[in-house]
Amino acid sequence: MARNIADNVRKLLLLGQCVPTVKQNAAKIRVKRLELDENLLMYFRKDEFYYCSDPDKVCKTGDIVLIEALPQKLTKLITHQVKEVVYPFGDITDPVTGKKVAKEKYREDIEKQSELYGKLESAFNYKKAPPRGWQDGKKDFTSKPTYTKFHVFDENDPYAI
Amino acid sequence: MLRRLTPLIIQSRTIKHTVDIKWVRPEYIPAYKAERSGDLEALPPIPETALGQAYALSEEIKDAPEAVKKIFSVGHLGKKEYNILVKSHFISKVRRHQYDESTAETRIARLTGHIRCLQDTMENDPKNVIAKKTVQELIDKRKKLLKFLRQYDYKKFEWLLEKLNIEYKAHPDTYNKLSRKESLRKLTEMHCDNIKNKKLDDYRTLLESQQGPFLTEKLEALKFIRSEQIDLQLPITVTEQDIKKVEEQLKEWTIKDEIKQQAKKKKRNILLETE
Repeated sequence: MARNIADNVRKLLLLGQCVPTVKQNAAKIRVKRLELDENLLMYFRKDEFYYCSDPDKVCKTGDIVLIEALPQKLTKLITHQVKEVVYPFGDITDPVTGKKVAKEKYREDIEKQSELYGKLESAFNYKKAPPRGWQDGKKDFTSKPTYTKFHVFDENDPYAI
Repeated sequence: MLRRLTPLIIQSRTIKHTVDIKWVRPEYIPAYKAERSGDLEALPPIPETALGQAYALSEEIKDAPEAVKKIFSVGHLGKKEYNILVKSHFISKVRRHQYDESTAETRIARLTGHIRCLQDTMENDPKNVIAKKTVQELIDKRKKLLKFLRQYDYKKFEWLLEKLNIEYKAHPDTYNKLSRKESLRKLTEMHCDNIKNKKLDDYRTLLESQQGPFLTEKLEALKFIRSEQIDLQLPITVTEQDIKKVEEQLKEWTIKDEIKQQAKKKKRNILLETE
């Protein structure tokens, strides 16, 4: 009974994190769950991976997203679709006050502090900053999984380490 | 069962494989090198005549004779003073305010300066074990700080990469040791995939080339059936919408075919020119 309910809920909505993948038009979502080991009576982490259709590329690597099951499988692999991006990675808004946060501080407070000390021109400006993704594939290689370099190809792949 | 028995029955060790895949082992690059650490530029252009950081503040040195200036220059004071200048150069690029010393961006900038100095040392003296160890630790630390910065402030992370000219590559899932067997396996897999994709593409082009003639034939047949049905006053099964649909499909196909033909011509021209 309980298992049936869990299965049905799983078909409704799931919360997971987007991880790097080479698939195009699809996002790989990791859903963390805890599994009970009945011998030890302890919970252990168990990851499940879902491939979700994402033709508009709404979610980027690291985003926390809501996914829901498709009524019909798109391909053998793609079973879900991305419904909503809940928390964009590295651009968190505090749900209580609605202000932007960096770590445990409000961005406003950080700005205020540097203004009190005398803000320099070299400081980072949040207002002028372009949205995430302008360094993707140039200096920031995180959208695809990296791997150990195993052969000398004609074209040098930046994702090979 | 069968899998276990086949090598016993069929000797595969002596068989020469027809697929020749040449594996080239990637050359070993030490971790302190710029291409591994992700530094895209060398040391900043600071001349040897630049004054040491503490001495530059003094009033007297401004109108001192050349000989005195030379004594207090970085070239004369040594590498240590020069390295301090390099670090402060990088920090001044990203500093929030005058007293900013411990924020993530300044720490990363300072580490970057230190790393580039040590990389220069390693270039001149590759057997310096202490420098090798230190630079490795610093590179790892910087990567960790960048990882954290990426987690809580992505915009600043990207800005910092641009400012300091560093590359950031995420950690791979597993750091497995390079082996001949595994590399050959991967290469063979790629080879098989290539063959499969090529065959699929060929088949697709074949089917698409047959689409046009089939559609024209279908159009004629449908028109003929409709006219016959009207003439013989039978119940009409082929509507005009069906015919229109086929016409549209034919139009789409002709447009696609033209684009393909032009691409083929271009390819041929390029090949002829190169020959």
